[in-house]
Amino acid sequence: MECKLVPSVCSYCGTGCGVLFEVINGKIVSTLPMKTHPVNEGKLCIKGWNLHEHVNSFMRLKQPLVKTFGRFIKTDWDEAIQLTADRFREIIEKYGPDSIGVLVSAKITNEENYLAQKFARAAIGTNNVDHCARL
Amino acid sequence: MTVKRITFLQELLGLLGLGGRLGLSWISSAEAQKFVQVVTDFTQKIKSLGPNPLSAFPEKRKAAAAGLLLEQSSVMPA
Amino acid sequence: MNNKVKAWLEDGTIDVFLGYKEVDHHPLPYCFTKERLDEVDDLLLSPARYSLEKIATHMTDEEPDIKIGMLARDCNSRALNVLYLWNQLNPDNVRTVNVNCCPSRLKEHGDCSYLEPETVGAYKRRVGVDNNLALKDVEAYDETERLDRWMYEFQKCIKCYGCRNICPVCFCKECSLEHDELVRTGPLLPDVPVFHMVRAVHMAGRCIDCGLCEAACPMDIPLRLLYQKVNQIVMDLFDYKTGTSVEQPPFSILGDTVTLEPKPIEPLKVINNE
Repeated sequence: MECKLVPSVCSYCGTGCGVLFEVINGKIVSTLPMKTHPVNEGKLCIKGWNLHEHVNSFMRLKQPLVKTFGRFIKTDWDEAIQLTADRFREIIEKYGPDSIGVLVSAKITNEENYLAQKFARAAIGTNNVDHCARL
Repeated sequence: MTVKRITFLQELLGLLGLGGRLGLSWISSAEAQKFVQVVTDFTQKIKSLGPNPLSAFPEKRKAAAAGLLLEQSSVMPA
Repeated sequence: MNNKVKAWLEDGTIDVFLGYKEVDHHPLPYCFTKERLDEVDDLLLSPARYSLEKIATHMTDEEPDIKIGMLARDCNSRALNVLYLWNQLNPDNVRTVNVNCCPSRLKEHGDCSYLEPETVGAYKRRVGVDNNLALKDVEAYDETERLDRWMYEFQKCIKCYGCRNICPVCFCKECSLEHDELVRTGPLLPDVPVFHMVRAVHMAGRCIDCGLCEAACPMDIPLRLLYQKVNQIVMDLFDYKTGTSVEQPPFSILGDTVTLEPKPIEPLKVINNE
């Protein structure tokens, strides 16, 4: 029997509530609010309470899918990234860099958000960057 | 089991101020007299208690929300 | 305490011990095992309280024969008693280390920060139900006022299901609050007061008055008062003190003996004003 209680931060919105995952035998079985966390003080909303269900969901995407002839086909990361890059280059060459916008998310970390805007400005060359938590 | 649950619920509804609006009685299909009596009594009781106060709540909520807004604006410095 | 836990883990009295340990400066529930015996020195009596018995139930779901030791405050012991009665845990497989209980109206001394009075604002005190009131003060309001005040509280509900999720004695695989016919998915304001009444009814003979639900409620609904009323009714009607009584709870189907009679339906005396 392996039972761990792993402190983490809720990945839903920008509030960043402290959650505690109950991991039994390597599987997350439940989510608890962290009582001493300064942000949520032991309270959570319905989304936070059900975080573990997303991890265990059978509908969760575990590998990239590429849409070919109207159907999603499983592929590996290298191919998926190559395809995306090729398509980006094609679009930029044809319509210019401002034809692409980058939307980032509160679900990822600050650093990843920073990288995303860097990617938009330096690699693509557009200022079209926005964020879902820019309310 | 039913009598336990209903007696319990009668008491609990009392906390919300909805007491007396729930009744329980066993009536056999042969006891027409009793059925009439129970239904008459209960109807009379419900009528004397007035309409269901819960049905007034959507309007009350709106009014309360408006009241809250007014209150806040009066408290706030001009 | 630490030596006792170590000895238990070493001689195989228990396989795991549920206690608290400081992780990233937060006192968090922690599962001590025989393999990492040194960690037992860090065992804490945390001021923050988690439902250890719920974790124990989840562990038992995975491995029914596991022997669990845990820290038990008064509320934990009461919850364990209820879980034994409802056959969720086997008392032979659980060992407890009893520790001081929280400060409350009942007890002055304790080492858990819980049950400090909640801060209640002026508006809530005027139109809602003050969380710190005693049950008899709430019942002193007249009927319409009581309904208004409780409805104000219930209408704040954001349906987070936190009260149910944190509850140490909520273990049903299928919950009526998730039943589409009873509580519909979608509308944000749940059907008040039905949502809370359904939960209150199901808490009869189960609620151990630990107050975790109220602490977890993001809208500060005085749930503890509501369930105190539930416990009071269960005490009055069935002479059953949840968490302390050892006989089957009044609403369990087995061992059903009914001594109650339905209340007579008496017509109210109509007051003639004329």
